[in-house]
Amino acid sequence: MNYQWDFSGVWAHRDMLLTGFVGTLKIAAVAIVLGVVFGALLAALRLSGKGWLAKPALWIIEFYRNTPPLVHFFWAFYALPVLIGVSLDPYAAAVIALSTQSGAFFAEVFRGGLVSIERGQWEAARAIGMASHQALRRVVLPQAMARMLPPFIERSFELIKTTALASTLAYSDLLYQAMQVNSITFRPLEVYTVIAAIFFLTLLVLSMLARLLEHRLAVSTRPVGG
Amino acid sequence: MEFSWDFSAVLHNWPVLLEGVGVTAGLWAVAFPAAMLIGGLVALGALSKSRALGAVTRAYMELFRNIPVLIQLIWFFYAFPIITGWQLSPFVAALLALTLNASAYCSEIFRGGIASLPRGQWEGARAIGMQPLQVLRRVVLPQVLKRMLPAFTNRGIELAKNTSIASVIAVHELMYQGRALSAAFYRPLEILTAVAVVYFVLIYPGAYLASRIEKRLALRGH
Repeated sequence: MNYQWDFSGVWAHRDMLLTGFVGTLKIAAVAIVLGVVFGALLAALRLSGKGWLAKPALWIIEFYRNTPPLVHFFWAFYALPVLIGVSLDPYAAAVIALSTQSGAFFAEVFRGGLVSIERGQWEAARAIGMASHQALRRVVLPQAMARMLPPFIERSFELIKTTALASTLAYSDLLYQAMQVNSITFRPLEVYTVIAAIFFLTLLVLSMLARLLEHRLAVSTRPVGG
Repeated sequence: MEFSWDFSAVLHNWPVLLEGVGVTAGLWAVAFPAAMLIGGLVALGALSKSRALGAVTRAYMELFRNIPVLIQLIWFFYAFPIITGWQLSPFVAALLALTLNASAYCSEIFRGGIASLPRGQWEGARAIGMQPLQVLRRVVLPQVLKRMLPAFTNRGIELAKNTSIASVIAVHELMYQGRALSAAFYRPLEILTAVAVVYFVLIYPGAYLASRIEKRLALRGH
């Protein structure tokens, strides 16, 4: 192996990679927020107790969970505009694909967290005179959220990694920008190794923060005497 | 909405999609067993008493799980040949990236499963004179394989979904064939919808099976 590594080309175009990094963070943040909204909606439909609401929600969830994310990206970019008569730019299409697919996963996280709280908690809260929205907000949700947090974080990390697929729609994320830098410098080994390292370090830092958060939440919701 | 659905492009060209299904199935059928095998070996390294081996296998798992699989694929296709001098065909590069990526997840499943068994089982088997590999094969694996089944099924599903990214480096699997058809006939809505449905039909039975297994194991108290 006598290959001479040379990172000068990558370094000279660091501003392009920075643009891509910002693009990745932006799309991830927007998709997490919209995914939570969509996921909460699907979970609410699933838990509504009305078959005509719960069944379609279940099928939406199953469909998204059992088809490849890349199909959702291409579908949102090429097929959806035909259906709605409005053309979408890569950013909009990628956000739609990411937030709907992660919404389907978030929905199961939310639903699972809520149903894992024993019925007695609801009943006791109601018995001391709370309205059902109060029982949800003050008693059930604080406990359920501690249980939802680890799978929620895991799903969010999956989402962050999936943002790389947005490059296939020519959205300027980190991978797309790396491809541009590669076409200027002809240094694929250095460019792609650098962005792999950037992703790795970003997720490493985020997972440390997540562990801190999980720990704090676990402490603050620990049952009395437990 | 004045759009009228027209599936004739799909109906007339289904062999093109079928060919894609064949390549998708081929990728999966090679990558999944290979990933299990490599994952098993990596897990043994992670569980061994050697600290160096433990550190290397940990790094392997963390690296492959914390980098997007698409970047791994592109790295193996464009960057790997520069270090090694072997230009991989798109199919082999895809196979390599998908296998190694899945193997890191498989190793974590093996490691977690084996570690979930009380140490006394190991010690007991060793005390009656079994070699470590015998303990693993005769005592440990028979007890934990069932527990790992849902996790492995889920990994198989994730892998099946991940095969679609091979289209990015022009492997002619289902996603690629669908995009080619859609570009040729200007019917993206019908063709991409059909592709999504085909994927669902291929993958959903696995997910259904996984949830059934999980429920049965939960009932038996595993």
